[in-house]
Amino acid sequence: MTVWTPTDDGYADLSSHDTFVNGSPHNTFARLRREDPVSWTDWDGGEGFWNVVRHADITELNRNWQVMSSARGIRMEDQTYEEYLARRTFQETDPPEHMKTRMKVGKAFSRPVVADFEDQIRALCQPILDEALEMGTFDATKIIARKLPMMMLGQILGTPDEDLPWLVEKGDALIANTDPDFTDHVLDKMQTDEYRMMPFNSPAGAELFDYAKELLAKKNADGDTSGVLHYILQPDKDGNVMPENEFRNFFCLLVAAGNDTTRYSIAAGLQAMCHQPELLGQMQEGGDIWATAPDEIIRWATPALYFRRTASCDHEIHGKTIRKWDKVLYWWASANRDETMFEDPNRVDLMRSPNRHMSFGQGGPHVCLGMHLARLEVRVLFEEFAKRVKLIEPAGPHKFLRSNFVGGIKELPVTLQAK
Amino acid sequence: MKVTWVLPGEEEVVADVAAGLNLMEAAQNNNVAGIQGECGGSLSCATCHVHVSDAWREKAGEKGEFEEAMLDMADGEVSDGSRLSCQIIMSDDLDGIRLTVLT
Repeated sequence: MTVWTPTDDGYADLSSHDTFVNGSPHNTFARLRREDPVSWTDWDGGEGFWNVVRHADITELNRNWQVMSSARGIRMEDQTYEEYLARRTFQETDPPEHMKTRMKVGKAFSRPVVADFEDQIRALCQPILDEALEMGTFDATKIIARKLPMMMLGQILGTPDEDLPWLVEKGDALIANTDPDFTDHVLDKMQTDEYRMMPFNSPAGAELFDYAKELLAKKNADGDTSGVLHYILQPDKDGNVMPENEFRNFFCLLVAAGNDTTRYSIAAGLQAMCHQPELLGQMQEGGDIWATAPDEIIRWATPALYFRRTASCDHEIHGKTIRKWDKVLYWWASANRDETMFEDPNRVDLMRSPNRHMSFGQGGPHVCLGMHLARLEVRVLFEEFAKRVKLIEPAGPHKFLRSNFVGGIKELPVTLQAK
Repeated sequence: MKVTWVLPGEEEVVADVAAGLNLMEAAQNNNVAGIQGECGGSLSCATCHVHVSDAWREKAGEKGEFEEAMLDMADGEVSDGSRLSCQIIMSDDLDGIRLTVLT
């Protein structure tokens, strides 16, 4: 059985969030990879954009940040310079500026530092699985996938547990800002002028910022240096401290990006297990599979469907001329199913190796800061799941987010049997 | 030109590498375990950490400022011979270089 069959007609509108409510339009991506690897989309919400869909092309462009800049925005929506300055994080910077931030925040997310979280993550998994197994039939996104990253976020930020559901709700409103289930301020459906200077164009950004300020004030008053925020606010070797608006935006980025991407990776892994029953058995055999399984689950999920770049100069590719200031979308979702890179790309193969997926934006300066933590959370959650679960079955159709930016299963009814 | 990667457990990978290629890419092309090179050589990760043996250190060149900072986030023990292999570009002078992979 294939895991999931895309139903688009091969000509889906990639600018439309509605296109993605049934999952990514993989028939369209497959056709574009074959016939039109660098295609143009007209968009009635703003300037149109180029779509780059082949693994090899994205690899080539992604390392070429001199030509393909991040500093004019990373989503398809247009930004004025004023908005850009107000809302940007280090996602919207190019080297060498980008490197300066990364040096400041990178250590806290480096593999050696993150590895120390393993026991903590394993402990957090137990009550989550207890509840799931007790319920038997439930929404796995809500009960399993959403919880672990949320709890880890609390550990990383050093926030009180009782604040976590509120934080995650605000994070969802920021990043899933095109799905009415997650925000009252649906980006493409209402006038958000009032919020355009706030992170992610959303009032939730302002609320998160106030929260971050209070949290820091309290931590400073208590002399509490736990959590990553303290790390990030240390002056660098030249005595520079991150400015307030940058800190605000970075905090929002941690809450939003660091949370739902891992959630949707876990959800996609559970979905795959529902439809490829052999996966649970393979996990239970264990051993070498844990070196490769997390990356395959993350390839399968591709929670960030695309990131945008902006051409800094004219650039020729496949006979097309990308003009200076044109927007260019790197469709990771397509690269991760590229049949010239992955054998049988529409199946989950937990032993896939090498696995040059691009879910973390590998191959360029913006490679995911949290990738080591994401892999660790995914590995430990599925290790613990496989120890305790005898059977997982779908208990109804699953639902995807309404977003062409975040690929996620927002509702995943399953039935579990304990061992 | 030859490059040798010494893996943990003393197993070795020897490969021909063309001038101009960086040694992270060379490792990827030869599937050297333990060299991920996740940022494609843009100094945004530290997943291509190697030790350059004493004899080759000078020829491999000086560490840059960003490289030095990123090494602080690397796996494995960081020593004087530590380099991010994406920053070492293959050249005639480096024919025969030996790199130790740490993890």
